[in-house]
Amino acid sequence: MKKHTYFLISCLVILFSITTSYAQDKEAKITLTFKKIDSVNVCKAFVTSEGQPVIEVPVNLSVKRLFAKLPIGDAIATDSTGVATFEFPNDIPSKNGKLTLFASIVDDENYMNSETSGEVNWGTVVVTDNSNIDERSFSAGRDRAPIYFITISLLILGLIWGTLLFAVLQVFKIKKLGKIQEIKE
Amino acid sequence: MSKNINKHETFTQEEYMVMKNDLLRPIAKIGKAGKIWIAFLVVVLLAGIVAYIIQETKSKYVTTSLRDYTMWGIYISNFLFMVAIGLVGVLMSAVLKLTNFEWYRPLSRIAEVIAIGAIMFGGISIVVAMGRPDRLLNLFIHGRIQSPIIWDVIGISTDLAACIILLFIPLIPSLVTCKNHLKNLPKWQLKMYNMLSFGWQGTPEQWEILKKTMKVLTALVIPLGVVICTITAWLFATTLRPEWDSTNFGAYFVSNAFLLSVAVMTLATFVFRKAYNFEKYLTEMHFDKLGQALVLMALIHGYFNVNEYLIPAYKMSGLHENTLLNLFTGKEAAFYWSVVIFGIIVPILLPLFPKMRKPLPLTIISIVVLIAGWFRLYLIVIPGLLHPYLPIQDVPESWTHYFPSVVEMTVVAATFAGVLLIVTLFSRYFPIISVWEVAEGELEGKEEIFNYK
Repeated sequence: MKKHTYFLISCLVILFSITTSYAQDKEAKITLTFKKIDSVNVCKAFVTSEGQPVIEVPVNLSVKRLFAKLPIGDAIATDSTGVATFEFPNDIPSKNGKLTLFASIVDDENYMNSETSGEVNWGTVVVTDNSNIDERSFSAGRDRAPIYFITISLLILGLIWGTLLFAVLQVFKIKKLGKIQEIKE
Repeated sequence: MSKNINKHETFTQEEYMVMKNDLLRPIAKIGKAGKIWIAFLVVVLLAGIVAYIIQETKSKYVTTSLRDYTMWGIYISNFLFMVAIGLVGVLMSAVLKLTNFEWYRPLSRIAEVIAIGAIMFGGISIVVAMGRPDRLLNLFIHGRIQSPIIWDVIGISTDLAACIILLFIPLIPSLVTCKNHLKNLPKWQLKMYNMLSFGWQGTPEQWEILKKTMKVLTALVIPLGVVICTITAWLFATTLRPEWDSTNFGAYFVSNAFLLSVAVMTLATFVFRKAYNFEKYLTEMHFDKLGQALVLMALIHGYFNVNEYLIPAYKMSGLHENTLLNLFTGKEAAFYWSVVIFGIIVPILLPLFPKMRKPLPLTIISIVVLIAGWFRLYLIVIPGLLHPYLPIQDVPESWTHYFPSVVEMTVVAATFAGVLLIVTLFSRYFPIISVWEVAEGELEGKEEIFNYK
């Protein structure tokens, strides 16, 4: 009996895998729209499949950063009209104010992975004050070390290594005195 | 006073000859035990070299236990230990010499050789710990003078140079003594003595120059040694980790170094006394004095230890809580309290009893202090790294703890073998106790020393 149960479960698992893999074959298309409603940035992801809106499919929103994509909150499922609505924060830094947003469906039971992107002008331009970049400071690069620090450092090193050099020269002085003594003897 | 005068008056040329024979005996003949010891050290050193080659040729992720958090492992804690031991030359030679403690005389050269070996292998420990040793040169080419790392490199190389010169200059008269009295040595060895003795004739002018130069260098190595230890402490104090966030760190490291220096000096004195039959020169008086010094240094270090741990523990601020509780009652508690007991309390209490300041008991205490001292530095480096400001989250399991790999342990063992090999080989080719300095002590600096060539 146990053997039969094992065989039955194996068949069911294989059948389930085949069904889900076929189910995942459905393609979903995401369209992104951006709007500003009462100073709130709203991003809408409209999901369709074969021309029909797709409901209750989780959509992830993320924004492109230097090395990877930064997720914006948790995934939001599409409503009865096939739209997932995201409130987009207004403090994401950007060089020129432009941000690249990505909406994606990942590991869904029914739909294949899908992703779309759009560019929007919602970034906060970062203003950096680099006017002191050429100033000499303790935290600056090697060529911008404070003059007083370089002077003191060189002075200390010069004094110490000077003393060591003096000591070495004394050894040669000892040698010279030895030679003189030898001649005398 | 009258006793002293009598003593000096009785120190004759014959006695000087006996002393010379005694102190030069280890150079004249190397026994079987000595050869086995040297071979053992060479084998351990070679094993370390092989381990290092394996480390550099295979992935360090496989050969070492170093990870993102514990990027400094036993290589760096061993480096701290070596730097601490390196202060032995400062304490046992320079400080005692300048403060006219006469009992330094037979100890000074032993201390200086240990210091040179320790500083040398301390520097090697850093290179071994480097992720990209092939970029070592960049440290000099592109280094920032504002960085404590650069100052550590400068400090170590300068101190090493100073210690070598300070060892060499008082050695010059001893080399002539070797050349004149050890005739049965191989020719190359006699040639080496002749070459390195720089035409020493023992004239009053030569003695004057030698003494003056020694005094200048002796005064120089004290601040240098203290500076190296302090800069090493600053490497930690300037790195963002709660355990190292301390203004006390420089003094804490220096006091630890002085304590370990006394311990290593005691151990070395015991070994040389036994191995070379130097009982007449390394006397029980030396152990008595070293025992007293051990108590003093342990008290000073204990004081800084209270500052280092008890005061932050009293406040127990959020940042320190994590790391301090780990040491006091957490995972490392047994380790931490063993180090406090054996590394500080034992050397404070036991040598207070005169019986414990005898050679064997004091040597055992010193070995315990040295082992505890090594682990104290381990406890500064590893738990400090494993308790960063931001909690460790979502990382591979191997990043959250550290236990040294076989490769790391072999390399560290090789550094110890290296130091011991330097000291052993030096004592086999050069007088490990300065004949003229000991004789001078007997004569209380009288002019007669010039006649004892």
